[in-house]
Amino acid sequence: MGKVTPAPAMGPTYTTKPMVSFLRWAARQRGNVLAYALVAVAVAIALVPYFWMVSSSLKTMTNMFRVPVQWIPDPVNWRSYVIAWHAQDFPRYFLNSGFVAAAITLGNLVLASLAGYSLAKFRYFGRGLLFLLILSTMMLPLEVTMVPLFLIIKRLDWVNSYQGLIVPFLIDGFGVFLMRQYMLGIPKDLIDSARIDGASELRIFWQIVLPLCKPALVALGVFTFREAWDMYIWPLIIVSKDSLRTLPLAISLFMSSYGTAWDQLMPIAVLGTLPMIILFFFLQRAFIQGIAITGLKE
Amino acid sequence: MALFQRIAASLLAILAMLYSPGAVADTSAVPTEKTTIEIWWHEYGPFTAYVKELIPAYEKLHPNVTINPTILSSADINQKISVALATGTGPDIMDNDASFYLLYYTKGVLEPLNLDVFGAKSYSDIIAKYTTGGLAAATFAGKVYALPYQGNSMSLFINNKEFAAAGLDPKKDAPKTWNDVIALGPKLKIVQGTRTVQKAFDFPYHSQRWEVQDFQPLTEQFGGKLLSDDGKTAYLNSPEAVKALTLWREVTKAGGDPRTTMNTPSNPNQDFVDGRVAMWITGPWATPQVQQSPVGNDFTVVSLPQVDPAKPHTLVYGWMWGVNNAKPAAEKAAAWDFVRFMLAKPDVWLGKVGFVQPVVGVDQSDVAKKFPYFDVHMKDVATGSWYLSSEFTNEITQALGRAIERVVYDGADPKASLDQAQAEAEKVLKK
Amino acid sequence: MSSAVHAESHTVRRRLRVGLAAKQAMFGYAILFPTIAILCIFRFVPMIQAFIISFSKYDLIHPPQFVGLANFVDLVQDPLFLNSFWVSLIYVVFSVLPVWPLSLALAILFNRRLVFKNVLRSAVFMPVVMPAVVMAVVWTFIYQQDGALNTILGWVGIDPIPWLRSSAFALPAVILIGIWRATPYYMVIFLAGLQAIPAEYYEAAEIDGAGHWSSFWNITLPLLRPTTLLVMVMTVIVAMKVFAVPMIMTGGGPADSTRVLPLFIYQTAFEFFDMGRASAMSVFLFVAVMLFSVAQIRIFTRGEE
Repeated sequence: MGKVTPAPAMGPTYTTKPMVSFLRWAARQRGNVLAYALVAVAVAIALVPYFWMVSSSLKTMTNMFRVPVQWIPDPVNWRSYVIAWHAQDFPRYFLNSGFVAAAITLGNLVLASLAGYSLAKFRYFGRGLLFLLILSTMMLPLEVTMVPLFLIIKRLDWVNSYQGLIVPFLIDGFGVFLMRQYMLGIPKDLIDSARIDGASELRIFWQIVLPLCKPALVALGVFTFREAWDMYIWPLIIVSKDSLRTLPLAISLFMSSYGTAWDQLMPIAVLGTLPMIILFFFLQRAFIQGIAITGLKE
Repeated sequence: MALFQRIAASLLAILAMLYSPGAVADTSAVPTEKTTIEIWWHEYGPFTAYVKELIPAYEKLHPNVTINPTILSSADINQKISVALATGTGPDIMDNDASFYLLYYTKGVLEPLNLDVFGAKSYSDIIAKYTTGGLAAATFAGKVYALPYQGNSMSLFINNKEFAAAGLDPKKDAPKTWNDVIALGPKLKIVQGTRTVQKAFDFPYHSQRWEVQDFQPLTEQFGGKLLSDDGKTAYLNSPEAVKALTLWREVTKAGGDPRTTMNTPSNPNQDFVDGRVAMWITGPWATPQVQQSPVGNDFTVVSLPQVDPAKPHTLVYGWMWGVNNAKPAAEKAAAWDFVRFMLAKPDVWLGKVGFVQPVVGVDQSDVAKKFPYFDVHMKDVATGSWYLSSEFTNEITQALGRAIERVVYDGADPKASLDQAQAEAEKVLKK
Repeated sequence: MSSAVHAESHTVRRRLRVGLAAKQAMFGYAILFPTIAILCIFRFVPMIQAFIISFSKYDLIHPPQFVGLANFVDLVQDPLFLNSFWVSLIYVVFSVLPVWPLSLALAILFNRRLVFKNVLRSAVFMPVVMPAVVMAVVWTFIYQQDGALNTILGWVGIDPIPWLRSSAFALPAVILIGIWRATPYYMVIFLAGLQAIPAEYYEAAEIDGAGHWSSFWNITLPLLRPTTLLVMVMTVIVAMKVFAVPMIMTGGGPADSTRVLPLFIYQTAFEFFDMGRASAMSVFLFVAVMLFSVAQIRIFTRGEE
């Protein structure tokens, strides 16, 4: 970032009186105090719901609804985690969510890098138009097309199937756009010299182009995984079999069926967030980059 | 020969008379080839546990039949089944709220009850086994299309401790009319500052479905009706309905701030078990939950409050098993046979699940005699009509629910609000 | 003669090059093909179908019936639809407008030197990590009458607010958590935009004696223009799509006060089984998204050429 590197010692500023520099320093401190105060407020707003979720998940049912509220669980009730975990087939729902999200992520990585490479480094008729078409899908929310999409999935006989959950989302306009932009920056000479050496096109892509795209791929991967893990309306429409339920679906159904309890719902909420938190902690930079690069658009 | 046939026929008739759903199956109608049937039902702990017990028991009796269960949430089972039936991926046996069977019948997706499997000669034999009107929600053009495994009354649960704390005796002072409920309001309501600590009474605002479950009997108590019997005409803004909604508003005002609630669709009885409301309308299935809560056995159940106790009107709502008619004949026969097998022991349903099957004689079992206030529930079932049923149950429920919410939350005029609901309903029914 | 040979070799080479170019173009098409195919089948065809179905009556069981413009004529007169459209509009405006300044302010805050900057930034970022469904569940609990939020409000003397139990507060409650989750997300995008602004600009401004505000107006905002446009378009599209939170928290109630358009489309299609009407609503949603996006891009790029 380096915006705060001190200005080079030159020019008239060098001769400012000590009093003025003290005032400046004080002003800067005041700014700092304000900044930290604002940051503290922002952090509190961001984290209090998390705190409340975790603390509630460790309470007994009676303490959950106690008035006035109990901030720190007493007694700490770990058992609700065990009970909740066994209340329904949650391991299965976790696996389903993980599998679906992983498959969608993989599909996007492969297809987006292929398509991005094609659009960035090859010349052919209709390229501009095709790129525009792909871009236009970014303005087309699923909510607009869900009814006919459901009818198509129905005709394919994919209702209640992993294909139905995965295939429509294997590629997204955003991924193509991202990979194309990134690959535009790869020098053409690199590719041409590989061609002169007689490397096949696929090999060039696999061994030369892809390794150069690692940062973009990681960012796209994390971004896609998060979106896929979050998916709710589509599974809600096409899944009715218990064995195919994804986690968000299971959580929402757990909440709305009348035999369930808050003391089990909160542990499940914690567990459902956990994979994302773990992913975030290990791939923090990629996670933030994945979102930051959404801003790459011209 | 003719004589022999006649004797055989009368023997069969006698057999059919002796036959009750509990008797061992007459397997002649049930296929013996390998059959797999799919069954879907809605999630409720004790219910799921019991059906999961019944499946292996049946498979043991019929080794050629395999039963695949799928458990859905009560919130969207109707949606899932409708989509599945439409896409040809439906189950053999479906579980659904009784009020949706008219829609399914209209769409032509239901298989009528298999009389051979039940060893019955006619549908009226089947209907006779149930309490009056017990099968009304599933009988179309003289044929029975679904069988209920629960037909619930909605009765008034009272928290004894809170009555005692207000100097009241739950036996003597239990409300019989809505005016009694209003009168009890100030005695049972506890407000500290701006905070309502304890409500005297509350209508269920956590779901529109529940709102209508209470609103329908109220309208009927005034002599009105929400829908015509064929479900094709709505009378949502009839003078009786307007009177009902006006009274509803009075009762709510007297009962306490309806916005102070922890009830959710998943925990409709939360306020009552927490002691946040002293009187609450719910079904017999809530009994185990109340007994396990801090309320314990310190509760009383009385009949649903009335406008005129001399002419009682209550509500019955329930869930039923139906069979998908798009399946091969053998599967359909096996499916009906499994339904017969599942329903065979109403007393076990009551004991294990807390569900009341609306069959004649259910109150004579030992379990029923031990079940707290079973007589009250049965009395309310006897005077009840089924939850409104139409091709457009969902839409009409929503229209009514909105009308109620507009009055309670936004202070809208009951007549104007119901006029709007009626306009919405008419539009839907015209389709 | 030599020139003829030269010419011949030239054409051979050219042919070779043309051949190579064609081969490469083929490869280019080939690796683009799966993407185009999937997008066609699962995006464009449904889009076209949405228009076609919107002219019919279809309940999934009986074959579709052509009804012309009936669905559209009906919708524009239907108070329920107009209400949903209105709710969506309110949601979009009020969940989006605060996010722009808030996320930019947070980004500027995190662009300064702070102790534990990375840790603090990660902490602020946490709402983005929480899955939408979990968020709906947790906030439903927070919004309870005697719950966490009302307790905190009680500390500053505010009476308990019936967040999800009144048609006046339910929509603000839904909007509030929309803002909660969106702000850190766009903060990150703004942060990336800020970091792309060369530090020299600020140094030059400082030398010229420009204050913070002046640098903000004259350097930061103009140079952030592309980022800002992007954030504006994205926030609106995301807000138009909101579904999970109202579906789970309120089911659209009380009295329809939170039934946003996607929720109504879902109910119409998969609870009322009126595919034609649902598709007609989708067309409205599509047009709204388009109009919003195009208008914003127009406003923002005006005067740039």
